[in-house]
Amino acid sequence: MTAVEDRRTAFEDNDKQPVGHGRMLRKEDPRFIRGKGRYVDDLQLPGMLHLAVLRAPMAHARIVSIDTTVAQAQPKVKLVVTGAMLAEQGLAWMPTLSNDVQAVLATDKVRFQGQEVAFVVAEDRYAARDALELIDVEYEILDPVIDVRKALEPDAPVIRTDLEGKTDNHCFDWETGDAAATQAVFDKADVVVTEDIVYPRVHPAPMETCGSVAEFDAIDGKLTLWTTSQAPHAHRTLYAIVAGLPEHKIRVVAPDIGGGFGNKVPIYPGYVCSIVGALLTGKPVKWMEDRSENLTSTGFARDYVMRGEIAATRDGKILAIRTNVLADHGAFNGTAAPVKYPAGFFGVFTGSYDLEAAYAHMTAVYTNKAPGGVAYACSFRITEAVYLVERMVDCLAYDLEMDPVELRLRNLIKPELAAAQDPHAFVKALIGPASYLTGAAAAWASVHAAFVIYLLTPLFYITPPDWHGKAQPGADEKKP
Amino acid sequence: MRVTMTVNGEEVTREIEGRLLLVHFLRDDLGLTGTHWGCDTSNCGTCVVWLDNEPVKSCTVLAAMAGGHEVRTVEGLERNGELDPIQRGFMECHGLQCGFCTPGMMMTTRALLDRNPDPTQQEIREAISGQICRCTGYATIVRSVQWAAAEEAGTRTVLEDAPMEGVS
Repeated sequence: MTAVEDRRTAFEDNDKQPVGHGRMLRKEDPRFIRGKGRYVDDLQLPGMLHLAVLRAPMAHARIVSIDTTVAQAQPKVKLVVTGAMLAEQGLAWMPTLSNDVQAVLATDKVRFQGQEVAFVVAEDRYAARDALELIDVEYEILDPVIDVRKALEPDAPVIRTDLEGKTDNHCFDWETGDAAATQAVFDKADVVVTEDIVYPRVHPAPMETCGSVAEFDAIDGKLTLWTTSQAPHAHRTLYAIVAGLPEHKIRVVAPDIGGGFGNKVPIYPGYVCSIVGALLTGKPVKWMEDRSENLTSTGFARDYVMRGEIAATRDGKILAIRTNVLADHGAFNGTAAPVKYPAGFFGVFTGSYDLEAAYAHMTAVYTNKAPGGVAYACSFRITEAVYLVERMVDCLAYDLEMDPVELRLRNLIKPELAAAQDPHAFVKALIGPASYLTGAAAAWASVHAAFVIYLLTPLFYITPPDWHGKAQPGADEKKP
Repeated sequence: MRVTMTVNGEEVTREIEGRLLLVHFLRDDLGLTGTHWGCDTSNCGTCVVWLDNEPVKSCTVLAAMAGGHEVRTVEGLERNGELDPIQRGFMECHGLQCGFCTPGMMMTTRALLDRNPDPTQQEIREAISGQICRCTGYATIVRSVQWAAAEEAGTRTVLEDAPMEGVS
């Protein structure tokens, strides 16, 4: 059967089969099941060179010296580039998607284990890897900040010494809700339950690691980048800034992607290195990281230390929820976009419950860990918010010696209340029927309903602004 | 060094470095990019091919070790223009999403069906225990293999509403 016939059969079958029963055949499957997918590492261009990245073996260290002469002298090696060389061209730092900057290659010091220090371009990938071992870097090891709870201590080593006037590891603060009104409700409540919740860092680990192939046409001045990207448009804008090319001269191609889960939204230094390699050699340059590099240096998820507080009456009426979050953003703030934060965490942390008041405050800090923080909807921080609120309701049920399902049923927003309550009313009304469910289904429904709110959060932007998260003054202070 | 092997029924001879991995030989030298490179350490199974009909992880086999042997890759599953039932099973039962683990999954489970034409769900899960899929959660992969087994046995309709273990 040819691929075209497969597809015809697929469409005919789709007319007859219900969605979600494994019979909805997909257009791309005929090539995937034949091994004819088109992933970045499948691309071979004439004269293509291979790039490998040298990474820091420690979390925090000053670079004393880098000697590349031996690596440079290897017969198959075309190019060895260090941070100092990039700095001469003004290319050592790149903007992140979160109004921060990130080192393409480290110049002054390394800030997390696995950080990019130098790269080699060679005729094949084995030769490029070999040459990495011949680069001699002398480091002066500095104390690292690994525990997020110690990042703001007065004697904590300052990680972002590259930011002018930076004297601590504070990254930004966000808040939403009415702190005073929430405090007033807590003051009058019969019962207050407080719980510290640590939600550790995880890695999305897509099956395909990150990589790119860059090709620069010097005659037309056009750059083409095939890359493992979930956000090619954002990438193009950044490359325009870094490479100094207008956007219409840059073509970013995101071919088949071997899984992403948010891991392939941020812009990683390796992509930029492949562009620099192509610009300097005049040849197409491929960079594919290995699994260890993927796990140690690319975007993560979670890494939240949350304090949750819930206030209720003795008979089980939930009155208010409050949370303080300490967020570990790693060495550079590379989250997809901070504007999404209120839409996610702030839109969901109140759950599906009928509350009198709520307040959330978040402090983000720098640590000597890999940057990122965008995976599994994690730039929205939905998962954390749902876990927080449902965990707090469970803890409250335990303290009140109540059935957690009964407690939830009693506090879910009723449809008849929804209309007059708040700007979210029209959204919450949609999930009102959840309150009529019985048994354990109701608890699940509230979790699912929270997700519905999340899906509809873009609508919040057209509602009155009194509930919106707002950036604190100072959130923009870390501009380069 | 010079190496000669049979790949998907065709004899190939190439001059290679002694340390070249079979996965890179297949992908970069022969252009058979259906076999993927996922972890380098025999953990993920995206690189599974057959060496003399035995599934191996080609990221941990030197190309030189395949010299004189018969290699079959995902590109060699389809024969005489006919898809293998395992390929149709994956398509029918949504045994893939991003498709990156799929070639390895299919090579392993085709080998399973050759040895055990009617595997239980547990046997299928054991067979793919050396392979990772991050998209599907495995339930549809198991179902795909069952679909192929039933197709080959001519009993496919029996499976339509078979309950799945571990799937709510």
